[in-house]
Amino acid sequence: MIPALALLLGVAAGLALGPVVPLWLQPYLPIAVVAALDAVFGGFRALLDGIFDDKVFVVSFVSNALLAALLVFLGDQLGVGGQLSTAVIVVLGIRIFQNLAAIRRHLFRA
Amino acid sequence: MTEQGGGPRREAHPFGSSSLFVDITTITVDPAYVAAAGRRAGDPDAKPPRPSSVIAVTALLFVGSVWGVAAAQTRDRAPAAARIRSSLVDEARRRTEATDRLARDRDRLQADTAAAREAALRDTAAGRALSAEVARLELAAGGRPVSGPGLVVTLDDAEVEGEDGETRVSDADLQSVVNALFAVGAEAVSVNDRRVGALTAIREAGEAILVDYRPVSPPYVVRAVGDPDALDPSFVDSPTAQRLRTYGEAFGLRFDVERAQRLDLPASEASRLRHARPAGSKPQGTP
Repeated sequence: MIPALALLLGVAAGLALGPVVPLWLQPYLPIAVVAALDAVFGGFRALLDGIFDDKVFVVSFVSNALLAALLVFLGDQLGVGGQLSTAVIVVLGIRIFQNLAAIRRHLFRA
Repeated sequence: MTEQGGGPRREAHPFGSSSLFVDITTITVDPAYVAAAGRRAGDPDAKPPRPSSVIAVTALLFVGSVWGVAAAQTRDRAPAAARIRSSLVDEARRRTEATDRLARDRDRLQADTAAAREAALRDTAAGRALSAEVARLELAAGGRPVSGPGLVVTLDDAEVEGEDGETRVSDADLQSVVNALFAVGAEAVSVNDRRVGALTAIREAGEAILVDYRPVSPPYVVRAVGDPDALDPSFVDSPTAQRLRTYGEAFGLRFDVERAQRLDLPASEASRLRHARPAGSKPQGTP
């Protein structure tokens, strides 16, 4: 309950404050969004599996976001930033779907 | 990603999985969770971590704010694009109005100059002859408003949108209509009330047709002063008219030809020659 509230509070704060994202950071925003989705669904799935670990949750989110951002940064320098960010989003997207499927199996036993 | 070699699948593949795609689609729970669970199982004193611990709640707050900021950003950006577009449209409209205003000023000043010239030349016989000559030349060059009987040719885009612009009137269509009218003896021609002079260009920029570098929009009304009884049959039989009638039947372009008893055509805009001078004469300072 408290984690869900914290998440909602974060969304509300982000929407309400709406800070201006600096231009250099904007290409990484979609990646941060997808990495965050992946971390949350992964964490929720681990919770249902009974193996949730708060440190792992934080470390996996931060490291995934950093690694993805690094890939995109590298891609930007090599002229394939757009394609690499698509690749990152596809790979994380697949994981999100798999985790959602696992969550569904847990919740509905189907 | 933290890879401390955890899950049972991992152990089945000591060198990692043989296929990246198999990994992506089968190892969906982060191996670190499995590893951490394994460590806890080996240590009886470890208390089970809870999702409402301070560190997890802080991370979730941050995650939520990332989504919120992204959503706010997306919402802000869409109207910005629309704003830029509409400000460009406004700018273009304002500039067109300014050009129109300047054109009116210029017309008024030209009329003033012409009147002053007439007044100065009226006093002597040589002056009057000169004045008549100027009037004749200006008439021929399209530098004076004229009126007389003639033809009105109306072209318009088809009502249904087609591909490759075949349902739209092109600059080439308008050019060939104007040329055909002159070829069959028209003495003065205007397109949408812009007189076609010696230096008038009819061309396309983007999807707009420009006459004298000013945009004109459909329907295109081409007025030609001349003897209607001579113009009408020869123009209607011209290859241009035949082609446009065919387009009309095939693509729905509108193409009408009507006779008119009285047409009023404005003076041509591009009447000022800056560099051209009569052949053989000495160059003078720029006017």
